This record gives sequence, C-alpha cells and structure tokens, in this order.
Amino acid sequence: MLRYILLRGALALAVAFTVSLAAFLLLNVATDPARAIAGEDATPEVVQTIRVRYGLDQPMPVRYAQWLGGVVQGDFGESYYWHKPVAELVAERAGVTIALALAAMAVTILIAIPLGVLAALNPNSWIDRTALGVAVSAQAVPNFWLGLIMIILFSVTFPIFPVSGDATWMHFVLPAFVLGATSVPAVMRLTRTGLIEVMGADYIRTARSKGYRGASLLWRHALRNALLPVISVLAVQLGQKFGGSVITESIFALNGLGRLALESILGADIPTVQMLIFVFAIVFVVMNLLADILNAALDPRIRIG
Amino acid sequence: MIKLKRAVGSTLFAITLSLSLSTAPAFAKKADDTLRVAMAEEILNLDYNYTTKREYIILAQMTDASLFDVDPKTQEIVPSVASGYKFIDDKTLDVTLRTNVKFHDGSVLNAEDVAYTYNWIIDPKSESNATGIIGRWLDRVEVTGANTLRFHMKAVYPLALRDMAQRIMLRKKDTYNPGGVVNKNAMAQKVNGTGPYKVTSFKPGQEVVLERFDGFFGPKPAIKKIIVRNIPDIGTQQAELMAGGVDWMFNVPLDLAQSLGATPIAKHLSGPDLRVSFVVLDAAGYTDPKGPLTKVEVRRAINYALNKSEMAKFLIGGSAEGIHTACHPAQFGCDQKSVDYPYNPAKAKEMLKAAGYPNGFPLDLWAYREKPVAEAVAADLTAAGIKVNLRYVKLESLDQARANKQISAYIGTWGSGGTADTAAIARIHFSDETDRNLSGDAQLNKDVLAAEQTNDENKRRELYTKAIGRIADQAYWAPLFTYSANYLVSPELNFPLDSDGLPRLQNASWK
Repeated sequence: MLRYILLRGALALAVAFTVSLAAFLLLNVATDPARAIAGEDATPEVVQTIRVRYGLDQPMPVRYAQWLGGVVQGDFGESYYWHKPVAELVAERAGVTIALALAAMAVTILIAIPLGVLAALNPNSWIDRTALGVAVSAQAVPNFWLGLIMIILFSVTFPIFPVSGDATWMHFVLPAFVLGATSVPAVMRLTRTGLIEVMGADYIRTARSKGYRGASLLWRHALRNALLPVISVLAVQLGQKFGGSVITESIFALNGLGRLALESILGADIPTVQMLIFVFAIVFVVMNLLADILNAALDPRIRIG
Repeated sequence: MIKLKRAVGSTLFAITLSLSLSTAPAFAKKADDTLRVAMAEEILNLDYNYTTKREYIILAQMTDASLFDVDPKTQEIVPSVASGYKFIDDKTLDVTLRTNVKFHDGSVLNAEDVAYTYNWIIDPKSESNATGIIGRWLDRVEVTGANTLRFHMKAVYPLALRDMAQRIMLRKKDTYNPGGVVNKNAMAQKVNGTGPYKVTSFKPGQEVVLERFDGFFGPKPAIKKIIVRNIPDIGTQQAELMAGGVDWMFNVPLDLAQSLGATPIAKHLSGPDLRVSFVVLDAAGYTDPKGPLTKVEVRRAINYALNKSEMAKFLIGGSAEGIHTACHPAQFGCDQKSVDYPYNPAKAKEMLKAAGYPNGFPLDLWAYREKPVAEAVAADLTAAGIKVNLRYVKLESLDQARANKQISAYIGTWGSGGTADTAAIARIHFSDETDRNLSGDAQLNKDVLAAEQTNDENKRRELYTKAIGRIADQAYWAPLFTYSANYLVSPELNFPLDSDGLPRLQNASWK
C-alpha cells in the first residue's frame, strides 16, 4: 500500500509539472502578458516598462527554467498584479474555495443520495421518474444561469440570503447549492443503480428472512454496500469542485481560488496561473488516489499495490 | 397527518422569516451616509503611481491630490496642491505650494515631498507606470524654498501641467526607498495620500472602505463614507443594486441601463466620454504597396460607406454621436471644420468604381472589442461592395500583427486618458514613433510633433487644424463615433457628469 501511495504521489507531481508547462506555453503564445497587465490604453512606453519589470522580455525557456528552479525551492514567484508571493496569495484564498467545495459536497450528498434511495426503492414508479427528471434537469441547467436565478429568487425577490460576498456562512448557501447541483445527477444515478443491484442480492434475502425490514434493512445491510462506488465518485467530484468553482465564485463574488484563476488568466498573471494549475492538478490526483484507497479500505475484495 | 403537515409548514415559515430578518442586507444610502459602489475590475493596488486602469484613476481622485487639477466644468488646469505657478521660460516652471496640505497621517506636505515624488517617478529604477509619461519632458525638480520648487524640463512640452494634474500622486519623502532600500509597493496596500478621502480598510480584490478626511485642504465631500466593492459579474452588480447593496454602477451595458433605469429602483445616467472609435486604413501600403487602400479615393469611399450616426445611436446610445475628425470634438485643437463624408453608400460605390474597383476588393478588417460595432462596420462596407473578412481577435494579437505591419485595416478606440487635448490622441496615432501610424505621411508626423513643442496655444491650434484637416482630406482614418458612459445609480444620489467622462465620486451627494 505504501509503495502504491508513493508511486501515485510521484505521478501526481509529474502530472502537475506537465500541465504547468502546457499552461505556461499556452499563456505566452495566446497573449502578450505585458500588454494584458498594462491595459488597453497604455502607451508603448508603459507596456515596455512592465515588460522589463517582470522579466517578460526574456526568452520563454529562460523564464520557465527560472520558475521551475524557484518551485523546487518552494518559491512560486510573485504575482504581477498582487505584488505578493503567489504561495501566500493562494493560501489566503484557499479557505473560501475549500469551504465552498465542502458545502457543495454536502448539498450533493443531501439531495442526491436520498433521491437515489427513493428512486431505487420505487423503481419505474412516478417517484423514480421524478428523481431521474430532477437529475437530468440539474445536469442540463448551466450553473451561471442557476446562480443568477437563485440570486433573483432568494436575494432580491425574497431577501433571505445575501447577493454576493463571503463574509458569513449565509453567503455560502446559494453558491453551495449552485455548485453542488452539478454533481447531483451522477451521484443520484449511481446510488439508484447500486441500491437496485444490492437489493436483489442473496444476502439481502437472507437478512429479510432473519426479520430485517424497512429502515434497518436499508441502513444496516443494503446502503453501506450500495454506496461503495458512490464514495469514490464523491472523492473525485470533490477534487473537481476545486477547479470548477470559477463561474460560481465570479457570480457570487466569492474571493476564492476559482475567481483568482479567472482574474489571473485574463490578466496574464503567469506566476499565479502556474501555481493554481499546479495546485489543482495535485488536488485532483490526490483525490483520485484517496478514492482508490477508500475503496480498498471499504471493500476487502479490492487489493491495490 | 394534518396536524403534522401544519407543524412542518409553521416551522418552515418561522425558519424562513427568522433567516430573512437576521440576514437582511444592510441598505446603504442616506441613512448611514454611505455610498456603496460596484466595480468589476479588482482593486489590487492603491497607488496610482504604479497602476494605469480606469478604476484606479477613479480611486486616486478620492485618495490623492496632485499639484494641479482639472476643473470638471471648464476642463481647464487649475492649481490644487500648488497655490500658484509661473513659467520662467519655456523649459523652467516655478511652483508655489499651499501650506495647509496634510497627508492622511496628519503630517504636513512640504517642497521636499513634492520634489522627492517627481524625482523618484522619473528615475528609471522607480519602474513607475508614470515614468515614461513624465520622464519624456521632465529633467529634474529642485527645492528652492520651504514651499517652492523649480521644475527643469528637457524640452518644451505644452501638456506638462496636465500630466502633473492627472498622473503624479504626491508622496512623503523617502516613501519608496526608506533607508535606501527600494520598495515600489510601499503604498500598494496602505496609501498615505492627500486627497479628500482616506482609506480605512482595504481587502484586495474585495473591498476598499474610504472615509472623508477632515484634514483635506479643499472643499469637503458631501458623503462621509464610500465603500468600493469588487463584483466581477454585471448580473450580480445588478442584483445588488436591486437588493440595495449597491448605489452606483458604471460601464453598464446600454440595454441593462435602459431597462433597469426605467424602474423606480435605479436611475440611468448617460454621460459624455472622451473615448472615440475609428477605422484605421493602411494608406502607406505596408501590407500591399499597390493595394486599394493606398488610393485616397478608395479611403474616401470607405468613409462614405459607414453609417456612423446610426451606429452611435443604436449600438452605443446615450450621448454618443457620429464624428468626422481623428479626435474628440471636445479636445483642444480638434477642428470641426475639416472635411466630412456623410453616409452615402451609393456615392461610395461610385467612387470605388471610378478608382478601378467596380466589383469591390477583399479586405481583412481587424477588431478586438465591441463585436456588434465591428459587424456593423463590416456590413456597411460589404453593402458598398467591399468583401470584408472580419478578424475578431484579442488585443494582444492585434498589437502583435500591427507591430509586424500585417494589418490593412483595424477598428480602434482611444480614451486619451481623459485629456481634453488633441495631443493625447494625435501623437500616439500619427507620429513615426508608433506602430499605430499607418498613414506613412512624413509631414503629418512633423506637424503633430511640432504641436507639442510650443506653449503658444494659437500656434498649437494652427498646427492641429492643419494635421486634422490633412487626416480628413486624405482619409487616413474613417472616424466613427464618440462613446457614452452609462451609469446606474440610486434615485437618492446626485452624481454629476463631467465632460471629460471621468467619474468623480468625491463630488457625489445625497438628494
């Protein structure tokens, strides 16, 4: 198991570096960072001042090598916009994104699993069809639209929640719902399918013959087996929440990593983009690894390493 | 069962009610004398000596005062921190300072502070965003008394006072290099300015809180507190305005401004802006030495083909209007008597035929913003017979292509930095120092530069009349329209609109 974890860790680093190199190349090819920082109305002199100030006049391989050299020493560079170490910037904003991601997962679990259970216990009924309809709708609705609709309904028409910002826990309710809704379909369907399969298994028949019924049958025997694949999907989904919060954070003006990523890309703040991509790649790979380990831990039939 | 349902319903209602009461947004406005302002651009740096964008200019107007200021009503340069000035000769300026100017930390500004600020800015190691602008004409600043200074200029420069008014924010001595150690970010997070508002709280990318500075030497602002909130999405800004979380929005799309402005929630204000839009034509033939754009008849035909007034009316709205000069009509030296080419597509076709293009010709038209405008221009040119290939790209791509002389025509805009002087648009677009100049006209280059080498206003006006007239006659550009700035504000707010288009929040007041 340890060897497996170490190998996957090394793979995570390799993925992160590869992705960061691709992002570096794309950013430098797609835009002139000095012009993006200076702004549209900046004179050529100002653009050149900025180009020299941030070392953007040096060749790309030199700049990437400098960045890489800094990273191995734990120095991710300084943000062109924020004028502070990128690592500090990311650490400051990570809390908001982590809170949002966890809250979104809570929303997903609270909606998707009960819906999936209801659908599985009443297959091909109106309950099942409704649950599937909810799942399809949640998948089809763009989250920027959903976000604005939620604001109109619950912040303007019925002023229950704040429109934007991240000062209190109430500021996270609507964004968590919007972000969590995107994962509901996959988790709901997996729960439904898993539970239908489990409910037809021999050991459930045995449990029934022993006198287990209703909630006790569901909780003690069926659900814990049906949720095994769901847990690993949830772990992967959590990783996606970190990178997928860009739109939600922009609409609700949450000062998290997603919004930082958007602003950094638009402003060609290359050091910040580099670090964010690095971090997101590591998080995603680690979450996948966690999913594998959890699966192995919960299901003795699975061996890894 | 019925009792259970009622219990559940009552509980839910109670929860909703208590939540709504406990979290009702704090409404702004007169009650707490706080103006809440929404900006999409993140405010990351409070020091305008190291930034360039529009939002930072708006903020700097509140936190800083400069030696001179622009009178919003007359657009004339008036002393501000300076109490008076005198040009000893064309390249030497003596300035006298007020004695009652305080920094926000309570210390009094003196001549050493002003000299330090300017000498620092022009020092290349400062890497200030203003270095190139001021360093072009300023040699050094010398302290001549406790509150007097002498500015030594490298060359005659008629816009010196305007640059000083708009670009240089005064700092205490040694701010950027305390103890000899350079710190360009000294004022980035905590600015110690001399303006009518001081910053009491700054969360970069989220919020700036400003409070009226009682030690300000000039007229006290009417509103006590201003909170600048960074809200990137315009839909969210709109929702905040509707919910009372915001009182002022700018850069509002026209359709949104009109629809929300028609409700009691908000008032739509439409003000002038010094920004102009135009089509630049490769008259010099960089992309095709014998191409159609090298012929003045073709360029004039292009001018006749464009319905500028309708573009202004329907695509921009407000106070936007069609123009026929390569400058904004409100700018000094922008002579409106130059030739106009009123919309006439039939005449455009006729002229193209006479020039040897009865079936038109292919044209790559580049653009980087406002796609509807680009499409309208392309459609008008197509109607005149020109086969337009619209290349809609990012600004950086257009810049690179232009620098490589690969652009035959592009749609550009220029805001002149809010400067109501033709110098702010002419040099950057028609001198040989810049790749934006596709005219290839050596005489035009001379005239444009000469207009910045004299302080004689009559001479300058004469030179610009000649330059603007030549640009129009030779149709190096197809000028399109001026812009209009759209704002949505609370009905309780008085917000004056100034002719240079610069929002001056420090002049706002409650009704």
